[in-house]
Amino acid sequence: MSKTTTAVPERKQSFGSYIRRYWQLYLLLLLPMAYLIVFKYIPMIYVQIAFKKYSIVQSVWKMPWAKNHGMQYFIQAFSNPDFRRALRNTVGLNLLDLVVGFPIPIIFALILNELVFTRFKKVVQTITYMPHFLSWVIIYGLALQLFAPSTGFVNILITKLGGETVPFLNDPVHWIWTYIFLGVWQSFGWNSIVYLAAIAGINSELYEAASVDGAGRFSKMWHITLPGIRPTIVILLIMAIGNIVGSGFDRPFALQNNLVMNVAEVLSTYVYRYGIKGLQFSLTTAVGLFQSVVGVIFLLGANTLSRKLGERGLW
Amino acid sequence: MKKKLLSLFMAGAMVTALTACAAAPAAPAAEAPADGGEAAVEAPAEEAAAPAEASELVDGKFAETREITVEIYDRGNDGGSNPEDNDYTRWIQEQMLEKHNVKVSFQKVPRWTEVDDINNLLAGGTAPDVCVTYSYPTVQTYADMGGVIDLAPYLETYKADLPNLWNWLGETNLYWDKDPATGNVWAVEAKLANMNRVVTFIRKDWLDQLGLEEPTTKEEFHEVLVAFKDNADTLLGADADKIVPYSVSFDVGWRAATLIESFIDPDISDKEYYVNGFDDRKLTQNGTKEAVRLLNEWYNEGLMWNDFAIYGSGDTTEDDMMKAGYVGAFSHNWDYPFRNGEDSINANLKRLVGEDAAFVAIDPFEDKNGGHNKFLAGPVDRKVFFPSTNDEPLASLLYLDFISEPETIQYLQIGEEGVTHEVTEDGAISIIAATGDAIQNSGMNIDYTITCNGLHLTTEELTNKSLAYTYAGIDPEQVLKANEIAKTDTRIGVNVQTGNIEAEAGIGDVLSSKRDQIYDQAVSAAPADFDSVWDSGISDYLASGGQAIIDERTEKWEATYGDTDMLP
Repeated sequence: MSKTTTAVPERKQSFGSYIRRYWQLYLLLLLPMAYLIVFKYIPMIYVQIAFKKYSIVQSVWKMPWAKNHGMQYFIQAFSNPDFRRALRNTVGLNLLDLVVGFPIPIIFALILNELVFTRFKKVVQTITYMPHFLSWVIIYGLALQLFAPSTGFVNILITKLGGETVPFLNDPVHWIWTYIFLGVWQSFGWNSIVYLAAIAGINSELYEAASVDGAGRFSKMWHITLPGIRPTIVILLIMAIGNIVGSGFDRPFALQNNLVMNVAEVLSTYVYRYGIKGLQFSLTTAVGLFQSVVGVIFLLGANTLSRKLGERGLW
Repeated sequence: MKKKLLSLFMAGAMVTALTACAAAPAAPAAEAPADGGEAAVEAPAEEAAAPAEASELVDGKFAETREITVEIYDRGNDGGSNPEDNDYTRWIQEQMLEKHNVKVSFQKVPRWTEVDDINNLLAGGTAPDVCVTYSYPTVQTYADMGGVIDLAPYLETYKADLPNLWNWLGETNLYWDKDPATGNVWAVEAKLANMNRVVTFIRKDWLDQLGLEEPTTKEEFHEVLVAFKDNADTLLGADADKIVPYSVSFDVGWRAATLIESFIDPDISDKEYYVNGFDDRKLTQNGTKEAVRLLNEWYNEGLMWNDFAIYGSGDTTEDDMMKAGYVGAFSHNWDYPFRNGEDSINANLKRLVGEDAAFVAIDPFEDKNGGHNKFLAGPVDRKVFFPSTNDEPLASLLYLDFISEPETIQYLQIGEEGVTHEVTEDGAISIIAATGDAIQNSGMNIDYTITCNGLHLTTEELTNKSLAYTYAGIDPEQVLKANEIAKTDTRIGVNVQTGNIEAEAGIGDVLSSKRDQIYDQAVSAAPADFDSVWDSGISDYLASGGQAIIDERTEKWEATYGDTDMLP
């Protein structure tokens, strides 16, 4: 394939022969394009539900407009204490995830990169990214076995050693840390793969030159590896910031329980509870739209900022 | 050449994927509300006129075979039969085809998340023709959107074709939910043949072992719990630290129902009970707070299960603890420890702990008058409704008629002689543990008898005689005792027909999950924090829609019944 692509700029050719030459590549592009159109663009038609009074049996074009110039459901959401709490929790948990969870894969990739014994390195890598493939329901099952107040393994160990039970799952503050910890545990190995790939792309001559100049392990890490993967870090950081009001559904939903809902209800579970269970589709579409708009604003903001600081942005 | 082949293959794969994409998401999300939906909007109006024509049945049969789908609960029992395909479903299918020329297929919905699941099915336009739910607000919400068929004209027009349905449910249950203003009937209520609700159970063998009497008051009950805890070594030996003197689940409002009800005034007016009664777990009734305060005290004395709140609906951890013999007492459905034949709690105790080990019913929570006040919901059970995607309302009603036939109910409840039941010497029916496809996934096949909950045999005499024998492997004495206690000092709910309460639409699930949170957080709060946890929880509940419901209920009660506080 690389052979054909290098040939492109050489010859001037008509559109027809261009297509004839590369139709296979465009054919390959068709599937992802179709996916985006069917699952991402067509559903956007239904965004108008946020401004209309939803009815299950009416065409979306015929539904009547909501009160207050269509803004009824946005007003309702923002005056709803549950929504405000869910928004607070979403931002709070995501920020914590960012602060704690974002640097860990980088540090891990750096450490892993320094290991000389490749077999050990491979084993560690495999073991750490495996939890990524576990569903959150299973992880919660494991967490219950380990952290439940009276039957959890860790708590039994603590009490046998003479300590007090730690309410990992049933006290809001402890729960937050359990939530963050489980998130990190589940994803840091997987997330480090990108960084390891970026590190592998760094020119090894740089390291050799640095060694000749007498640089040690840490200064090589600091002056070569980290700058080498900086573009990757920035791009992932921008994406993470763009997702600050978004949230996955499975993780909070699986880990929630009635004692910690004040800190555990996030927007995605709020939407599930009010929208799908409570059938308030207009209200929750409004919330979803709000999430998307804020997400885009954050994404653009972070992107602009990083370009101002001299980094390459997403585009 | 190789590349060409590969790309052709990819192209093929893509076309397949594309057609799949186009078909799958378009149906529920895009098309249903757009086209299929519009037809449905007009359908109720058209169909309302349609029943006026003469019935198309000949001898109760359609000329051409009709097809309907019926919802069936899936309880996911260990070793149960397939709820969609077993001896009973096949029998129903045969009978329906023979009697009415209607082909029935079943669609399972998980029992413990039925409201969520039926919501999703309705929203996707793929709900079964005959739907069953315990949640009337769900029916009402869909009805408001035009998603449910109004049964009123059908019930009247086809009355002659539906003798069993009318006989069994009668006006009381058929019109229980009739809107007084519009006359709409969105759902008919199944009949609760046995209205027993919640009863408290205690380990009789533990009482005997410690030389204690069955407690008859809250104070005595508390003393017994303390005694269980203090004597855990004697009772459980090496497993002493696993003891749970009194167990509840996250659903405190149900699982401590008799305790909560004992704190409510037994002479409460119908009006007050109704106005504060949107939550069927009594959260906003006067007295509930004090009941929960008592639970909070017990919790902090270490008399309750520490982890109750972190296990969700349908989790079997607590049941497993009961079966293993770690639990001293609990409150639950009146027949809970007897259910599920060989896998029942009492059968497990007998096997795992010892011949005498068993939970027996007690009635320890006295009310302020010294009785043992228990509120019953009224003779209603599940709500049966037809979504507007149902093209066969008459065939579906014939299904309800068939399933309400006394002989059908009896057959489904007791099955075949020698397989699921035996006849005792005095002629009573005694249920035995069945195997394979004859296993009843729910006690007495309640999931199939969708218009009936509770033993109802063809004669009343037989029913009364047999009730104690309906739990395979359980000592009839235990059943009789639980039944007697469940029927002591009961107050049956009256049917308040004030029309649709708009404030209740779409908010039911949100408020129920808030209710559970308030109960759980209040029970497990530190004693000093109890008041603030409870009060802030309640004010959040009221602000989130609870107060609007109370206000609208008050207003509509006054509009309908004037100054009357009690209904006849």
